[in-house]
Amino acid sequence: MILQVENIQKAFGSKHVLNGISIAIHQGMLIGIVGENGAGKSTLVKILVGLWKADSGRLSINCKTGYCPQLPLVFQHLSVMENFRYFASAYKLCTHKGDKQPYYEQLMKLFRFDEYKNQLVMNLSGGTIQKLNLAIALMHQPDLLILDEPYNGFDWDTYLCFWEYIKHFREEGGSILLVTHLLTDTSVFDQVYNIKKGVLE
Amino acid sequence: MKESRLYISFVLIMKLLLRRRMVPVLMVVIPAAFFLVVYLTTSTRVIPFRVASMAEDIFIEVGERSCSLAFFAVASVGFLSSYVGLILIQSNVAVNHRLIICGYHPLEILLSHFIVLFMIILFVAAYTSLSLLIFFSPSQFILFFLSLILAGWVYGSYGLAIGSLIKGELEGILMIVLLANIDAGWLQNPLFYAEAENQVIIRYLPAYFPSQAAIISAFSTYDVINVVLGSLIYGSLFFILANAMFYSKMKKV
Repeated sequence: MILQVENIQKAFGSKHVLNGISIAIHQGMLIGIVGENGAGKSTLVKILVGLWKADSGRLSINCKTGYCPQLPLVFQHLSVMENFRYFASAYKLCTHKGDKQPYYEQLMKLFRFDEYKNQLVMNLSGGTIQKLNLAIALMHQPDLLILDEPYNGFDWDTYLCFWEYIKHFREEGGSILLVTHLLTDTSVFDQVYNIKKGVLE
Repeated sequence: MKESRLYISFVLIMKLLLRRRMVPVLMVVIPAAFFLVVYLTTSTRVIPFRVASMAEDIFIEVGERSCSLAFFAVASVGFLSSYVGLILIQSNVAVNHRLIICGYHPLEILLSHFIVLFMIILFVAAYTSLSLLIFFSPSQFILFFLSLILAGWVYGSYGLAIGSLIKGELEGILMIVLLANIDAGWLQNPLFYAEAENQVIIRYLPAYFPSQAAIISAFSTYDVINVVLGSLIYGSLFFILANAMFYSKMKKV
């Protein structure tokens, strides 16, 4: 088991947002969490990635995680390449398993960043910024991807490219926790939970 | 050679700062504008005044214009440093938080911001003190330059602390403008201080020590060791507060 959450609770003042959430994720699984706006999805994600602390419950993560936040958290006044460089230093990345080429350069090709790698992020379209947001979560080759509404603003080609990558990622043994308010195709998931009033159904 | 994380962070934060076009513009315009206004509005009459941090029987006689220019040099460095400190900390808070989740330590991020701030302080202090040479030559130029760096240290650390404490940009700017205006831009004016009813309050304000260092080094050959130490301690207190607040807000739980 690479991630285990047991009876997580979180309240903001008198408002109880999470009321005893429990999930277990094994290697290679694709888990979906859906729910209405304000159901507690993003709160759960922020607890899983270490941004917020749960009021009670147990969380155990036994692998390298990658986090793609709902709103693109990238430096608007830096170029695509500079953003990669900054996050590569955060991940302590140099090269990928003996390759001369860092893995994030492969990602740049995969997500077709080549033509605007030197452009400032503030001059890119919303969908391209969202792609960069996702690529940053992938650049250290995590074992578990935690994705919060990852395809907001994607065009159709990028959406397909995203699912192609997810398929490839799972084939290599990666696991994914995808949180969204909208799922069109549930057949690719191993399990889909619905979060309602802070409880998983 | 492999680049260190601190170096990469420093270089990219510097780029982020300088790409906000108003920052380099203000760094050049504010000291020049202050000097121009002082030059156009003050007389050259000689005024004797007592230096606050020295013995009661020590008086300095200087021209009103020179005195105001030295005082506004401190004010402009202090104001710019606190502004840069504030925007460094307040900009990109969420992205910095992501960097911390990805592996940076919060204090690495704060330290790289501080190095950028220090470089800006060095530049502004050098630019301001060299510009002052157009009008008059300070008695101890190197010490005067150092006192401007100290003003930047105290007020830059104040800006970092305010940026760590206060979330809103407008509220942060207000806190900075308020203190910088009242303290560095008004109460520490040696001409005002000499006539002030309650001088004790003025001695506890952040710009007191660097202003004293600037006035003494600009117009006398007395030593400034006590006020230099006072500035270092005052700035360090703000810097420690900024570190503690930043760490508690940004640490990975």
